Amino acid sequence: MKKLARETCIIGVGMHRFGKFLDKGLKELTRVAVWNAIHDAGIDAKLIEAAYFSNVLAGLITGQEAIRGQVFLRDAGFEGIPIVNVEGACASGTIALREAVLAIAAGLYDVVLAVGAEKLYLDDTARSIEAMSTNADVELMGGLGFQFTGSYAMTLRKYMEEYGWTQEHFAKVASKNKYNGSLNPYAQYRKPMSVEEILSSRVISWPLTLYMCSTMADGAAAAIVCRKGIARKRCTKRPIDIVACCLRSGEVTGEDDGQRHVARDAYEMAGLGPDDVEVAEVHDAMAPGEMFRIQKLGFCQAEEVGRLVDEEYFTLGGRLPVNPSGGLAARGHPIGATGLAQISELVWQMRGEAEPRQVKGRTTPYPKIGLAQNTGGYVEGSPAALTVTILKS
Amino acid sequence: MTDLPIKEGLFHVGQLPDEKPYLIGGKCNVCGYTCFPKKLVCIRCRRDDTMSETKLGPYGILETFAVMQVGPPDFPPPYIMGYVRTMEGALVFTLITGCEAQDNALEIGQKMELLVEKIKEDRQGNNLVGWKFRPLQES
Repeated sequence: MKKLARETCIIGVGMHRFGKFLDKGLKELTRVAVWNAIHDAGIDAKLIEAAYFSNVLAGLITGQEAIRGQVFLRDAGFEGIPIVNVEGACASGTIALREAVLAIAAGLYDVVLAVGAEKLYLDDTARSIEAMSTNADVELMGGLGFQFTGSYAMTLRKYMEEYGWTQEHFAKVASKNKYNGSLNPYAQYRKPMSVEEILSSRVISWPLTLYMCSTMADGAAAAIVCRKGIARKRCTKRPIDIVACCLRSGEVTGEDDGQRHVARDAYEMAGLGPDDVEVAEVHDAMAPGEMFRIQKLGFCQAEEVGRLVDEEYFTLGGRLPVNPSGGLAARGHPIGATGLAQISELVWQMRGEAEPRQVKGRTTPYPKIGLAQNTGGYVEGSPAALTVTILKS
Repeated sequence: MTDLPIKEGLFHVGQLPDEKPYLIGGKCNVCGYTCFPKKLVCIRCRRDDTMSETKLGPYGILETFAVMQVGPPDFPPPYIMGYVRTMEGALVFTLITGCEAQDNALEIGQKMELLVEKIKEDRQGNNLVGWKFRPLQES
């Protein structure tokens, strides 16, 4: 794994709350997240030299297929600077972050914006659902009734058979994340839910029940990335270093579908291992998905995950808090914004700003190492795009 | 009303009474990678001169499945989607038929058999036919 030529850090993050906002368009969602990030950094917005704009479905949902970033960022006050549109389904947000890092590492810029915004709620739900089905190979699977809930259900069924995971484990994970989400002012769903309530909700595709699954959402999230050497002079808050930002595509010809490989890349780039991670945000469009992400990231073996869930290892007060934000199913999943919401949460946790859902570091008041894992789309039985980002304070 | 393939070039319908249907896949002459649908480039070797067309099916093993209790417009629930690994080694996304749409009707690892039948109708009312798998009836 080659090293980046210049080191980078995050100096500001911001979000627009995730939820259902029929009266708000992408211009407003984008502007709010971007300016929250600018104010968080405490910098003059004129210092931003380039922007990477992540969005997945504006073309199908709103008709704005081309020049999305240029259109939506104009209302946020940006002209002149290069704006690059980024799309990698649900992983788009962290892909945009990585592009911002690479632009700085290449020596072109010192301060770059990464922003993700998505609007999925319309009056026409059928159109929203049809648009979301394009996150898979449309030609091959679209015509055959493929659904993402089913893909999670199929994967979970294999783990249940092989490693003894149970539907009750899945409900415990969902309940933990609903609780975390209830403490997050940016979350779409803020109602805690018991294991029993989750288990007794409608079956979507066994073992998944309704309250284990993410729904549609609108929202936006942003991060301002800065060259490391100059960050402290520019911003008011403690910069958080980006020590790894790795991207891979899914694989089908080997043992690994790409998830272990991208995690290995990230640990190598950071010079860290899974045991060093103190807080993680992982991609759980259906809450139990957290369990297979955890083992693919090397936090533990597949056969241990069920027991660790029972022992509350991944709760806010556990040894390794996972999805303190609530994760995708509770915080909400406006797909192009999700990756940068994961990053925002890690930054808040590592600065000690997460208030009631604040987790502790192992040797310091707040966690020093945070990891975000983000997955997008589905091609031929494996995820389409996979990222792992590691932050260090 | 005519039967139309859901997509051309993906499968062969058995015409004669004892002729079995098959899927049109690809196999790499160098590494053995076998896939469905057919590809002209091997994604393991990343070479464009090693792939040849190969017949897949009619038998395979059920890798996993999901019984869907909600569905898009053409797929009234409950219905089953799954992955079957054909005996030739290709992983195939498929609808599953020939059993109750219930979680206890199937088991991972069981033998499956390919068939070609109606998937849905197009807007003109033609039957769009494609591949499905059903549990193999052992005789």
